[in-house]
Amino acid sequence: MTPAVAAGPSASVAALRAAFGPAIRRHDVVAGDTIVLVDAARVHDILAWLRDTPGQRYDYLVDVTAVEYRDRERLLEVVWFLRALERAEDLRLKVELAKDGPLAVPTCTDLWRGADWLEREVWDMFGIRFSGHPDLRRLLMWETYAEGHPLRKDFPLRGHFSRAEQTRQALGGAAEKHYSLEELSIADAMHYLPDDMRERLAHGHHGEVE
Amino acid sequence: MGLIESTGLPGDPAVVSHASPNWVTTRLDFLMNWARKNSLWPMPFGTACCAIEFMATAASRYDLARFGMERQSFSPRQADVLICAGRLPFKLAPVIRRIWDQMPQPKWAISMGACASSGGIFDNYAMVQGIDTIIPVDVYVPGCPPRPEGLMYGILLLQKKIQGESVTDGALRADRPVRPDGLFLPAERVDELSEPFGNSVHQTRSA
Ligand code: SF4
Repeated sequence: MTPAVAAGPSASVAALRAAFGPAIRRHDVVAGDTIVLVDAARVHDILAWLRDTPGQRYDYLVDVTAVEYRDRERLLEVVWFLRALERAEDLRLKVELAKDGPLAVPTCTDLWRGADWLEREVWDMFGIRFSGHPDLRRLLMWETYAEGHPLRKDFPLRGHFSRAEQTRQALGGAAEKHYSLEELSIADAMHYLPDDMRERLAHGHHGEVE
Repeated sequence: MGLIESTGLPGDPAVVSHASPNWVTTRLDFLMNWARKNSLWPMPFGTACCAIEFMATAASRYDLARFGMERQSFSPRQADVLICAGRLPFKLAPVIRRIWDQMPQPKWAISMGACASSGGIFDNYAMVQGIDTIIPVDVYVPGCPPRPEGLMYGILLLQKKIQGESVTDGALRADRPVRPDGLFLPAERVDELSEPFGNSVHQTRSA
């Protein structure tokens, strides 16, 4: 059954305003979904609060993504889609970033483990850094990809390099450059990995590695 | 001079490459090609929607096995024909190249669908504009996706091509590795092959 489209903003907005005051800049309701624009500096606190506060409990991070609008004046936006599984309620959080400013927001991998690859994808496609991310490498493009961040509006559709150069780089790179060593073989690759990653893998779900 | 002067095994291009065709080699060709073309083992390299159509071709209704392709070889080392079914992103270019290099001679390649043959509708930063810039291709099957009949027609064309091969042609079975400059084709050729066509020229810059 489709739930009726909510007429007003989510009840979370009032609660957010009460808890965070001016850090909640504005909210919109679009097609029944509430979108809350917040301060970049407080976004991590706000996400944690939304996840943990009784009555809110947005326990599921649906997606992290970013938007750059065709209108060049408009700011870049980073978007978090949250869902409270028990109440079946959605909330969307946005942060605006100036294109010439530092493109960075705090990571939320400490709140939702699943944010890992989502944030890597946003970094890969938009060049937005997630400070505190344990392993911020490109996700879709290969790690040595040098042409920039493809979903930015100043990125030409066919890329910056000539087709021959793109082909050369693609062919010339060893597979090891395109796939991380842990993907190819964890055991052989161990000594190439940074210490923290080695630590993580050794005690993770990837089995025993010496 | 003929086959009599060479001492190696028949069919070894190094041995017979300087032999001119004669009764023995043409009979040998016929026999070998007949055997080869009717026992092609495909290495399916299915990356996208075309692979679905490839699966339909291999399944019971169209039954690829009728053409001697009973066994899909998922190891390149036991494969004769690489069928690239789907678009090839640059990230997969070294992969298909490595698979191709791992396939033993004699080997052939079929480029299935618009994407594999030309990049198709994906004239963008991520996509190889035709797998012939990465590996040599024998048969191009047009379509988006080609129907199973289309792929089978391509396979029949390949069989026809194989039937016309000759052991006396030493160049035929020579490997074509990636050149020292890191490309499979000269840079101008790659650029020329990857030229935008149709509407895509209007899409090179975002408005
Ligand atoms: S040619 Fe069409 S069907 Fe085949 S991979 Fe490309 S888009 Fe998909």
